[in-house]
Amino acid sequence: MITRANSPVRGWRGRIFAAVGFFFVIVFITFVLTLIITDVFYIDKKAVVTAITSNFIRHALWLSIWTSFTTTSIALLFAIPMGYTLSRFRFPGRTLVDAIVDLPIIFPPLVAGLTLLVFFSQSAMGRWIQENTGIEFVFQPKGIVLCQFVVAASFAIRSAKTAFDDVERRYENVALTLGCTPWGSFWRVSLPLASNGITAGGILTWARAFGLFGPLMIFVGSFRGRTEVLSTTIFLEQSVGNLEVALAVALVMILVALIALTIIHLVGGSTQVKL
Amino acid sequence: MIRTDRLSFRIGDFQLLQFSLEVAQGQYFVLLGPAGSGKTIFLECLCGLRKIDLGQIYIDGHEVTHLEPRARGIGYVPQDYALFPHLSVERNIVFGLRVRGYQRKDVIARVTEIVDLLEIRHLLSRRIDGLSGGERQQVALARALVLRPKVLLLDEPVCALDEATRQDICAELHRLQHQLGLTTIHVSHNLEEAFSVADKAGILGEGKLQQVGSIDELLRKPQNEFVARFMRCENIFSGEVVSPGPLPKSTTVQYAQTQLVVPGQHQGRIKFMIRPENVLLLASDRHNDPVDNKLRVKLIRVRDCGNYVRMELKGTIDLVAHLSHAAFTELKAKRQSDLVAVLRRENIHVFPT
Repeated sequence: MITRANSPVRGWRGRIFAAVGFFFVIVFITFVLTLIITDVFYIDKKAVVTAITSNFIRHALWLSIWTSFTTTSIALLFAIPMGYTLSRFRFPGRTLVDAIVDLPIIFPPLVAGLTLLVFFSQSAMGRWIQENTGIEFVFQPKGIVLCQFVVAASFAIRSAKTAFDDVERRYENVALTLGCTPWGSFWRVSLPLASNGITAGGILTWARAFGLFGPLMIFVGSFRGRTEVLSTTIFLEQSVGNLEVALAVALVMILVALIALTIIHLVGGSTQVKL
Repeated sequence: MIRTDRLSFRIGDFQLLQFSLEVAQGQYFVLLGPAGSGKTIFLECLCGLRKIDLGQIYIDGHEVTHLEPRARGIGYVPQDYALFPHLSVERNIVFGLRVRGYQRKDVIARVTEIVDLLEIRHLLSRRIDGLSGGERQQVALARALVLRPKVLLLDEPVCALDEATRQDICAELHRLQHQLGLTTIHVSHNLEEAFSVADKAGILGEGKLQQVGSIDELLRKPQNEFVARFMRCENIFSGEVVSPGPLPKSTTVQYAQTQLVVPGQHQGRIKFMIRPENVLLLASDRHNDPVDNKLRVKLIRVRDCGNYVRMELKGTIDLVAHLSHAAFTELKAKRQSDLVAVLRRENIHVFPT
């Protein structure tokens, strides 16, 4: 319930002001819910059973979940030190580095898939990596994580940088005078204070990775039981005319996304710092 | 004891130049200066949070210039206190002890001692965002003092507080500092803070330490116009020496169309001042001392400033005078009243050239 004290303006002008805001909220929510409800009414029970009992689709679900969480973990592993470095240190070429970090957010995801494919299949360095490390990416499940990482990690890095920007330097300074080393002030002060923003970045990264489709089709393909993830399942089922099954899978994706986001919000909410 | 020897630091267009200062053991030193004068930067240099370009810093006789902040033995309370918002009051206070690996029983003993000293035991379980300004200040002080620093650095410690709380906290700071015998540097732009706590004070301006001395010296014997203006002296004049004065060790100076007698022997062009509270105002010319400077003035503006009345006077020399309410009532002056201003030569201060 909205209380008067919370509303920015009082009186009839305030009500109109609030009504304008709520109009857009209601339109957006109604639109999204309508789309989902339409899907729910369109599919039949048989399609849902097919989707749930299919080994291939269960494999795709599991692959989508573990690759997206692995990607998010790796992205955060990069994002936290990178975000702190970009936030705190001034160095030559910093603006260029900043722009390169943002590049995957801007360019079309398909470009990432194509670039990865060219690098690992056409370039000497890419081939050398695959041949000498024993880690194969092209048309392999590991390629899913790499592809998701390239496309989604920028969200985590950008969010982490913004979060560290918001942590005032004076907190770290005080920690240093109280006995911390620079590492200590990072772990005990900066990181906990930036945790809200980092969590938000992690959520964005996961969401991007979980729903990735185009670049995966190019880089790892869609081999049933091997590199097929839920987003590619939808495409495959729809392309052979199984629209109901495709929709059932889509609903599974929505459900998984909803459960994951709720859990992340709940876990994040209990540990996050209130500033 | 803390001492800086020709400390220099430059950042962008700003620089601290040849900053030499010594604060004796157990002394409460207030470093005053206008906003942007570099007070905070100076404290950060002392803490080791900024690397100085030249000079040395000594604490208790040991050079600490190149030591890390944690190894200097400094307790630092920054402006707005910088209490860690993700920790409770208790965890803020024990933060330094935990980081330094103190045993649990030592932590308990020290925290008990400091919370009793500051009388903040009731705050221990509170969150930082629920504290008032005064409470935050006390917690920040406890967090710094619990480590038993050799020197305490306070950056505008009461500027964010209301007037009444500010006075209480200043009194508390003074009590604590004397009780602990702790060498303290307190920076501020507020003169009242210096009046209430300082054993000694310094004025920082234009990147330099303009003057160090007792509050009385800074008020009555400023080294230059910058210090005089910062200490709220408005009657500052520049005049040409005409001749030796009528008394030994006095000089007659021409300012505007008036000749004034100032103390001391001077030559050429000099700058001098008289504090507004030292301007004596009379309703008529009944002042007998022939060697005091007497000026006919008209009262232009009166402003009640709380504990004194500020009067703007126009004559051959424009003056500002501060009178107590009792003296103002006794004077029975109104706007446009004709008055006589007496500038006693012993109250006139000539700036050293």
